[in-house]
Amino acid sequence: MAETTSNSGLLAVRLVTPDRVLLDATAEAVELPSMSGYLEALYGAAPLLAELGAGEVRLHGGSSGDQKFFVAWGFVEVLPERVTILAETALHPNEIDTAEAQKELQEGQKLWNEAGDDGEKYDEANAITRKAEEKIASAQGKRS
Amino acid sequence: MANVLDLRRRIRSVKNTRQITKAMKMVSAAKLRRAQERAMQARPYAQMLINVLESLVRRTDIYNEQTGEILHPLLIEREEKNVLVVVIAGDKGFAGGFNSNVGKAAQKFIDARVAKGQNIDLEPIGKKAIGFYKRKFPAANYEKTEEHYDNDLAIHYDTIRHRAAQIEVAAEHPDLLVKTEFEAVSKLAHSIIERYERSEIDSVYLVYNEFKSVLQQRIVVEKLLPIVELGVHNVESSQEPTQEERDAAVLAAQSEGISVHVPEASEMEEEAKKFGTADVDYIFDQSPERLFRHLMPRYVTTVIFHALLESTAAEHAARMTATDAATKNAGDLIDSLSLTMNRVRQAAITKEIIEIVSGAAAL
Repeated sequence: MAETTSNSGLLAVRLVTPDRVLLDATAEAVELPSMSGYLEALYGAAPLLAELGAGEVRLHGGSSGDQKFFVAWGFVEVLPERVTILAETALHPNEIDTAEAQKELQEGQKLWNEAGDDGEKYDEANAITRKAEEKIASAQGKRS
Repeated sequence: MANVLDLRRRIRSVKNTRQITKAMKMVSAAKLRRAQERAMQARPYAQMLINVLESLVRRTDIYNEQTGEILHPLLIEREEKNVLVVVIAGDKGFAGGFNSNVGKAAQKFIDARVAKGQNIDLEPIGKKAIGFYKRKFPAANYEKTEEHYDNDLAIHYDTIRHRAAQIEVAAEHPDLLVKTEFEAVSKLAHSIIERYERSEIDSVYLVYNEFKSVLQQRIVVEKLLPIVELGVHNVESSQEPTQEERDAAVLAAQSEGISVHVPEASEMEEEAKKFGTADVDYIFDQSPERLFRHLMPRYVTTVIFHALLESTAAEHAARMTATDAATKNAGDLIDSLSLTMNRVRQAAITKEIIEIVSGAAAL
């Protein structure tokens, strides 16, 4: 299928959040934090739909160079020449408020302690903790 | 008859009022423009989410094959005994009939449901709605219980609702309209879903001002849960504005250069419609059932998020129209006061001349 389109070898990448379209660019490769671990999409990838966890979307090469975005929960559609990311939260690493993230982390841990025997509450608490941890990691990765 | 000085003072005061309403109108117009833009920008995400859900519905069995039972709790229809009504109004007044119209539509719906013997939970959003309902109805009473067992190794938390009246205010959300962030709306949606899943409520309705454009707006009562059909607004009843209101709104919008028609779908939105619908066999990274389960609450969140954005736009439009009318009225009042003042002054002058003339004639 990849042969039918222009052979520029670049993926069109879009990052969409509930508020707006955050990014519309091209890249040679995109790393995506799927629920089951990081995956990387290149030009001509097989069509895929995956749920995103918390982590960093990394773009390599392409029109605007390497870029990183912190995302938390979302969806990604990978097509041979296009990657569309649907993210509930998406932030540029510069925009992350570490103090705020620490607070969220504590909140998550507090919820975890209070979850009792409710499995769903544990999942929720874990999701919050994970998001906060990834947020902090993303912010720190930028600094170093 | 009033004297010239009094009239001059009144004219000055009305002029001040006119300036204020004029400024308010301009502010509302700017805010309306921004709110409309925001609602537009939020559309691709919602569209994509619906697409993924629809394609998942095609791929997964949301019905149990043997029993025909629906597998997702948010899709199950129950007998409506306890109804949650989420009323979205504004934080501020001075917006014509905006707040009271939403209130009236909600009241009509509530009255009809109460007549059927159903219990009503209210969840007002916006300070105006909160103030109104809090005065009228008691707050819901929740009891949190803790059960310790296995030597405190395990704790079971539970929330029990004690209903005292037929109509109660379940929760209130005073700050939701200040910035309308997705995360805050998500919290609200999850709390509603939680109550729905533990059968505290059997159905959820949204009462809000739908706003597609200045010309296309109406107050709707929309069924949020259970979900009847994905991606379709399930409108129970709606109330269109009168021709007079519409004309006023159009006039106000035109004077501020705001388009009265629905803005055209952006390129991104067209693209969004194709999301997840390519004619290929997708590989699913996770099981469709699991994805579906994770997506449903998000879908509910986007529906509420949209209602909030549209209601905000409608509020600004209503305020713009109201302040435009106020500005016009102030202008009319100034004209009529000026006329009276001139008459009074002329009468005084005439009277003095007559006095002088008759005084001279008497000599």
